[in-house]
Amino acid sequence: MSSVEKQAIFRDVPGFVPKRPSFGQKIWRSRADYLYVAPAILVMLVVIAYPIYYTIELSFFNTPASLSLADKQFNGIDNYVTILTSPVFWKVTWQTIVWTVLSTFFAFLLGLGAALALHREFVGRALLRGLLLIPWVISAVAASYVWKWLYHSDFGAIGAALVQLGITDRPINFIDNSTSALYSLIVVNVWKEFSFAMIMLMAGLQTVPDSLLRAAQVDGANPWQRFWHVTFPHLSGVSTVTILLLVVQNFNSFIIPFIMTGGGPVGSTQIWITHIYELAFLRQRWGVGAAYAVLLFIIMMTLGYFYVRALTRGDESRAGA
Amino acid sequence: MTNMQGRAQRPGSLTRRQAVAYAVAALATASLMSTTAFAQTVDLSQWSPEYVRSIAGTKQFDATKDCGAVVPNDYAGRVSYWYTGPFEADPQIAHEQDKAFWEAFKAAYPNIETDVQSITYNELLDKFRTALLGNAAPMVIRLQILGGVEFAAKGYLQPLTPEDVGYTAADFWPGALKSVTYEGTTYGLPTNNETMALIWNAKIFKDAGLDPENPPATWDDVVAYSKTIHDKLGIAGYGLVAKQNAGNTPFRFMPQLWAYGGGALDEASPNPTYTKVEINNDGSKAALQAAYQMYVVDKSVPVSALTNTQAENQAPFIAGQLGMMIAHPAEYAKMVDLASKATGADKAVADDVVANMRYGLIPTGPDGKRAVVFGGSNIHVVKPEFVEGGQSDEQAVKALICFWNSPEWSTKLAWVGSNPGNINGFLTDAMKERLDTIKFLDVTTSMLPNGIPFPVIPQAPEIMNIIVPDMLQNALTENMTVDEAANDAATKIEAIIGSGGGL
Repeated sequence: MSSVEKQAIFRDVPGFVPKRPSFGQKIWRSRADYLYVAPAILVMLVVIAYPIYYTIELSFFNTPASLSLADKQFNGIDNYVTILTSPVFWKVTWQTIVWTVLSTFFAFLLGLGAALALHREFVGRALLRGLLLIPWVISAVAASYVWKWLYHSDFGAIGAALVQLGITDRPINFIDNSTSALYSLIVVNVWKEFSFAMIMLMAGLQTVPDSLLRAAQVDGANPWQRFWHVTFPHLSGVSTVTILLLVVQNFNSFIIPFIMTGGGPVGSTQIWITHIYELAFLRQRWGVGAAYAVLLFIIMMTLGYFYVRALTRGDESRAGA
Repeated sequence: MTNMQGRAQRPGSLTRRQAVAYAVAALATASLMSTTAFAQTVDLSQWSPEYVRSIAGTKQFDATKDCGAVVPNDYAGRVSYWYTGPFEADPQIAHEQDKAFWEAFKAAYPNIETDVQSITYNELLDKFRTALLGNAAPMVIRLQILGGVEFAAKGYLQPLTPEDVGYTAADFWPGALKSVTYEGTTYGLPTNNETMALIWNAKIFKDAGLDPENPPATWDDVVAYSKTIHDKLGIAGYGLVAKQNAGNTPFRFMPQLWAYGGGALDEASPNPTYTKVEINNDGSKAALQAAYQMYVVDKSVPVSALTNTQAENQAPFIAGQLGMMIAHPAEYAKMVDLASKATGADKAVADDVVANMRYGLIPTGPDGKRAVVFGGSNIHVVKPEFVEGGQSDEQAVKALICFWNSPEWSTKLAWVGSNPGNINGFLTDAMKERLDTIKFLDVTTSMLPNGIPFPVIPQAPEIMNIIVPDMLQNALTENMTVDEAANDAATKIEAIIGSGGGL
C-alpha cells in the first residue's frame, strides 16, 4: 500500500495527521505537466536565462569604452554604488514614478469609464468600440511621431487650434519645456493605453450577474449604489490584474519618450528604460547599464510576483475543494 | 599591413642589426613606392568651387591596371566584406553604381571570390560588435567616419595605411586621415567624405531686407540675420537643432563652436592630443552664448529646437517658414523631392522655395575661422583572429580596398550624397558628370578643406551625442547659465576621458 493510499484511507480517522508530500513527490506527481512545459523552459533558458545571467555578471564589471568586453574589469558593487548615489538616478526614478502612477491611474480611469459606457446597449456601440480600440492597435512609433507634430511648439495642430479659437495668444509649448514635457507625454501614453484597460474591464463586466443588479434595483439602489456595491466588487480581480499589467508596461515604457523628446529637455522626460538605453547603447557603459537593468529587473520581478498572486488567487482553494 | 610593435631605443646608438634593418626598410619602402598606384595632383591650397570645376574630368584612371600593380589581377583568393550599400529608398543611380562596382571588381579580379553583406546604417555597428565577440566578423568592413575608433581602441582592427594598398597619405584629406588614426596608428582609409553647408531661402532674405544672394559671412551675422528675419517676418530665422541624444545636434553646433575658437577637446588643432578639454574655453562659451541669444533672448529660432532634429526643420523650410539652416549636400535633392509631393497651394509655395534655395559656405568665427564636421566613411581591416574561420586573405583584402578606393570608384560609389575619399577622384570624368548634374555640389565640396573630424577617441559618441546636446539644453532652458553649462560639460568630459564618469 502506497503512502498516498494510506493517507486516503486514514484521512477521516480522528487524530490522523496527513503527511505532507515531499518536494520530490510533488514533482514526480506532476511529471507529465513538467514534460509538457519542458520545451518552453529550455527555450527560455537559452533566450532569457542566459541574458539575465550575463547582465547580472556584467553589472559587477567596469567596461571602459577603450576595452573590449573580453577585457572588462571586475569592480565589485561599484556600478550599483555609482547608480544609487547619483542624483541623476533619483531624479529619473521620481520621473519614472510620476510617469507610471499617473499613466496607470488615468488609463485605468478612462478605460473604466469607456467600458461602463460601452457595456450598455445603444446604437453605434460596435462602431464606437472599434474606434476606441484604435490607439491601442496602432504602432507606438507611428503614434509618437503623430503626437510630436500635434504638440509641435511652432507648427503643432493643437497649438494652432488653440490660437485660432482665441484661447491662447501663441502655441503652447508642450514638449520643449522642461516643466510640461513629462505631463504632455503622459497624456499621449494614457491615450495609447486606456483602450487596453477598456478591453480588460469590458471582459470583467460580462461576469457581473444581471440578476444581482436587478435585485439591487428592486431594493431601491440608485445607479451609483449599484455600481459601487455590485459592479465594482465583481471587477476587483480584473482591475487588480489590469492595474498590475499597466504598471509593468509603464515601468518598461520606451518608445514614446525616446521618440518624442529623446529624454529631454534637460532630462525632464528621462525614465528608467530610456536612461538604461542611453547608458548602454549610446554611451556604451555596459557595466553601469547592466547594474541599472538588474535593479529594474528586481522591481519587475516583485511586481510580477504580485501579478501571479493576483492571477492565481483562489486557485489553491479551488484545487483543494 | 604595418607592424606597429615599437621597441625602445637608446638615442644615437646604431647596431649592426639595426643598420641591416634600416637597409631592408629602405629597400622595402622603395619597393612599396614602386607599387604606389597614383601620384597626387590636386592642389588643396587652391580649393574653391571654381577650382573643383576646373579640375574635374582632366585625368583618366584605370583601377584594374593600377590595382593590378598592388595585387596581381590573376590572384586567386577570397574576401568577405560588410558595408552599408544602397537600400530601397536610395536613388536608382546608387544601385546602378554599386552593381557596376561589383561587376568591375569581378572583371578585374576574376579569381577572387567575394562574400558581401549590405547592412543598414543602424544595424551595422551592433551586428559588427556581436560578430567580433563571436569571432565571426568579415575581413573588411566600411564604417561611418568615427565608427572605427571604438574597434581600433579595443584591438579588433589591423593597422592599415594608404601605402599598404598602393596610395599615399597625400591622396586623402588630412582631416579624413585623422579620423582613422588612433594613438598614432592608422587603422583604415577614407572611402568617401562630405561636409555640410549653409542653405538659405533667398526670397525670405529679400523680404526681410537682407542681401538675397549672399549668406551671413560670420556666426555673429547669423544671429543678426535670424533676428531680422524673425522681427520683420514673424518666422524663424535660423534652424537651430538642439535635441538630446541626437547626432544631428553636434553636426550643426560644433562648426559654430570651432569657428569661435572652441572645441570639445583640442580636435580643431592641427595636431590634436584629445586630452585637453576646451568645451569651457572662451570660444566655446561665445558659441553657446550665440545660441542662447537666438533661442532665449531674440526668440528667432524654432521653439521646437529642443526636440528638433534636422528632419523637423525640412518641413518649415519647404513651407517657407524658415530662413536658413545648416544642411547636408543632399538636402537640395530632398527639398526637390518634398516639393514634388506637395499639392494645391502648398505646391506653389514649395516650388518657390526650391527656386529660391541657395547653398553657401558655413559662416566663419569672429577671426575668420571656418570649420565644419568632417563626415563620411572609412574602410577597415579586421584582425584575422576575429574573422570568421580565423583567417584573412591579405592579398584579396588589399585588392578590394585598392579597387574601392581608386579615384574612379571612390567617386562613383559616393555619387549621391558624398564625395570621393581619394581626392584624385575630383579629377575624373565621373566627378565632372556629378558637378554637371548635382546642383550646388561645387559649393558643398568646397567646404571639405575646412573639415574637422570629431575627437578620434572611443568616448567621442558620448561627448558629441550626449554631453554637447546636454550643455546646449542646460543653457537654452536656463536650467544653468552659459558659464555653468559649459563648465558642467567640461567636468563630464574630464570624467569620462579619465575614470569613466558617473551617470
